[in-house]
Amino acid sequence: MRLPLILMFSKSFTYFFFLLSLVNSVPFFAQNNACDYRLIGVVEDEGTVLPLSEVNVFIEKHDKGAVTDSSGYFSIEGLCADEYHIVLSHIGCTPHEAYINLESDTFIRVHLAHTANELEGVVIQAQSSAKTAQSIQQIGQQTISDRANLQLSQLLESITGVSSLKSGSGVSKPIVHGLYGNRITILNNGIAQSGQTWGDDHSPEIDPLVANKIQVVKGVGALAYPGAKLGSVVIIEPQKIGTDPHLHGKFNYFFESNGLGHGAHLMAKQYRPALAWKLNATFKRSGDKRTSSYYLANTGLQEANVALQLEKSFNDKLFNELYFSSFNTIIGVLRGAHIGNLTDLAFALEREVPYFTKDHFTYQIAPPRQKVNHHLLKLRSQYFLDDLRSFTFTFATQINDRKEFDVRRSGQSDRPVLSLYQLNFYGETKYQQEWYSGFTLNTGVQFNMIDNVNVPGTGIYPLIPDYISYETAFYVLAQQQLEQWFFEAAVRMNQQLQNVLVRPRTYLDESQRFQNNYFNQSASLGVNYRFSPSYLLSWNMGIAMRNPAINELYSDGVHQGSSAIEEGNIDLLSERSLKSSINLSGQTDRLLSFEVLAFAQAINNYIFLNPQDQIRLTIRGAFPVFAYEQTNALLFGTDLSTNFQFTESFKAQILYSFLRGNNRSEQLPLIDMPPNNLSGKLSYAFSKPIHFKKRNLENFTIELDNKYVFEQTHFVEGQDFIAPPPAYWLTDLKISGDMQWSSTRMRMHAGVQNLFNVRYRDYLNRQRYFADDLGINFTIGWSLNF
Amino acid sequence: MKKLLLMMALMALVFTACEPEDDHDHDHEGELITTLVMSLTAEDNSTYEFRFEDLDGEGGNEPTITTQDLPSGTTFSAAISVLNESEEPVEDITQEIEAEAAEHQFFFAASNNNVSVTYNDDDGAGNPLGLSSTLTTSGTGSTSLTVTLRHEPDKSAMGVSSGDITNAGGETDIEVTFDFNVQ
Repeated sequence: MRLPLILMFSKSFTYFFFLLSLVNSVPFFAQNNACDYRLIGVVEDEGTVLPLSEVNVFIEKHDKGAVTDSSGYFSIEGLCADEYHIVLSHIGCTPHEAYINLESDTFIRVHLAHTANELEGVVIQAQSSAKTAQSIQQIGQQTISDRANLQLSQLLESITGVSSLKSGSGVSKPIVHGLYGNRITILNNGIAQSGQTWGDDHSPEIDPLVANKIQVVKGVGALAYPGAKLGSVVIIEPQKIGTDPHLHGKFNYFFESNGLGHGAHLMAKQYRPALAWKLNATFKRSGDKRTSSYYLANTGLQEANVALQLEKSFNDKLFNELYFSSFNTIIGVLRGAHIGNLTDLAFALEREVPYFTKDHFTYQIAPPRQKVNHHLLKLRSQYFLDDLRSFTFTFATQINDRKEFDVRRSGQSDRPVLSLYQLNFYGETKYQQEWYSGFTLNTGVQFNMIDNVNVPGTGIYPLIPDYISYETAFYVLAQQQLEQWFFEAAVRMNQQLQNVLVRPRTYLDESQRFQNNYFNQSASLGVNYRFSPSYLLSWNMGIAMRNPAINELYSDGVHQGSSAIEEGNIDLLSERSLKSSINLSGQTDRLLSFEVLAFAQAINNYIFLNPQDQIRLTIRGAFPVFAYEQTNALLFGTDLSTNFQFTESFKAQILYSFLRGNNRSEQLPLIDMPPNNLSGKLSYAFSKPIHFKKRNLENFTIELDNKYVFEQTHFVEGQDFIAPPPAYWLTDLKISGDMQWSSTRMRMHAGVQNLFNVRYRDYLNRQRYFADDLGINFTIGWSLNF
Repeated sequence: MKKLLLMMALMALVFTACEPEDDHDHDHEGELITTLVMSLTAEDNSTYEFRFEDLDGEGGNEPTITTQDLPSGTTFSAAISVLNESEEPVEDITQEIEAEAAEHQFFFAASNNNVSVTYNDDDGAGNPLGLSSTLTTSGTGSTSLTVTLRHEPDKSAMGVSSGDITNAGGETDIEVTFDFNVQ
């Protein structure tokens, strides 16, 4: 009866992150009605005690079944008080039969004798299925694949408390609880994404289609990873290879009417004792997008990505993984958003339809545009000293090559105006140990180096200087399960050294060198209390420090993306944050389940771009001046999600998020804070398959989605060029279904976004100064699992 | 713990040595326009000069703007030259503008009706460019003249070819204002 609690006790080799999730998203509830019991269990390898996924769990008498997930976890619902025989089968394992006399909700732990060694569940697992005192919400593989036309952060918007900061339709980055960019960490396959995170118009260079799960940890942050610890963490996890010795895979295709976009994704994988491999490839292309009434000139996008994953294990002791991914994109920037100075901006703001709007569609991407390549290579080895102790060694390198092109004179438009090349090396040694008492310890040392270079040849004085930064870090994470209580505590110390070279503006001046040394400490504490089987309360609190980033210290010049002069401040101090959140999830009865989260975060020395009273005169005219300044900020908010299960087929969901950000020192609102939003979803799934030409169309589902985004009223006139746009309401409709063809399963979906072709502008889209947001869009797609 | 801190400190020391390389092919504001000179020649061959100069580009030191007062009731032929004086030798951007005449246009706006400017050149496609123009003074009093260079304006839009910037679009490469007296 202590389900997830027992799960938490799991002796599988967990990582801190591991601890971070699951429980909240799938609360465990006792049922009073007959035939309403649930059987939950975890399946582990007998030899390694590692969880086994893809285990088929079949209840003979009831013709019911389940398959274990990546944490070896399965759940079968709607069982009566009865005796059952269950069969567990897994590739490479002897099928296991178990007898259960079910009298209540029950948890079982099964050990399968695994005949072949495998890496499965060790490395990738390490970041998934976390158990933790933090709030975690996630997006599953089906949603990712059904929304293949979306970018990473747009996908995340379906999670309460998460929004996107956009620069047009092609560039978006996630905002969680009001923080983004330098303040949140994005983990791609366990490695902190390293790139030009500072620019509002720089998207994370990650292909979400490679992932089978995307999680947002809303709590205090992952102290086990490099990067800022202030905000939340976004975890992108590639699907693991599994243990099937046959060639399997998935092919996915989509088309969307707005921008005539289309894309394909292929995944193929095979497990072999010699070497397990998986390959992902994605291709996407779209042309000019359209608002409710006109084309957005030059907003096309092209993307081509590939990812290779190899896994190999030795003697149940040593598990190795190699992961390589390459992300390549060209993104068009709305032509009418490219402006020269304040006068141009004033003209542009007055126009209904942006300059350069064309009456025809094109796939062509002319300047202004961005061209970004990002490559990641990761090697990880985990060595088990015994069942309870292991060492993990990780090495990763990333290359980020970003070029931005503008409209230039003398046929120089093919010469970038910004060309940044970043090289990142990361190494980690980690030790993990578990005790039978339920105590878990993780500790590690890390080294992270970033070499950021302005590639010569742009002919433009760079906005940020060249730098090399070194980070060395040490962390300890401990967890303890005590009956209904679960405790976790973490400490991280890191030292960052920045060597900076500020080049002269003219040949007459000398270069300047700066060296900054920062020492940051972070700590977190969390508690879960399950005060009844249906209710889980978790609380966590953390203190964190973030040293100023290079752009905040040394920016100097016109930031074309925001048409303002940005001035860094070399006297900035590290930010200090205190964040606390409390999360309650529960289920009142079968009908209603809910999760509510409230948080408050105080950030002292909060670094932000403050508009200055002066206007800087240049030969290009006048520019507003923004300087990096510090203040004391306070953010607070709530996220609410409620699910109603009216019948087995008919469901409703309501999501609401509220956020406030204040500049406490000056008694002003913080700008660029996501407006509050409310969304409601109705879905009806046909419980019986629909016969269609000798085939069965299964899981046929109709979904109606409504989203209402409030006007951002927490704003003082003059904080931005124009006031926030009014509230808007969007409606989406979607149908989907599955069909089985012998060993191939096909999924089809079709949908309409912005069904009523509503004309709107979004506060968090920088393109709102110039143009409306996207109009109606029809999508259609199918995927084949083979 | 102590050992660890020591190790971190040691690593820090080791890596202090690595610094960004200060090569010499890096970018200054190469494409920068530092200077706009408007040379005015009256019918009697007397010359006047308006100059906007910002040698260190955007940011840094404030620009210097020099003008001269103009006699009233006079017609001047005006020639604009655009330079990048931060480079050695000085780069003459006027030629680039001439070469891409169809994609550029100067606009002139006076705060007072005692100064008017008309185009005196052509971009090769029948539309004005504005490197060469005619400036006429009348009456007396202080005035300011704003000279704007637009890149990729829509020259076919209403009023644009007669010098009205309202519907021009494009982006501003230059926008400078000269204050002077007509006397």
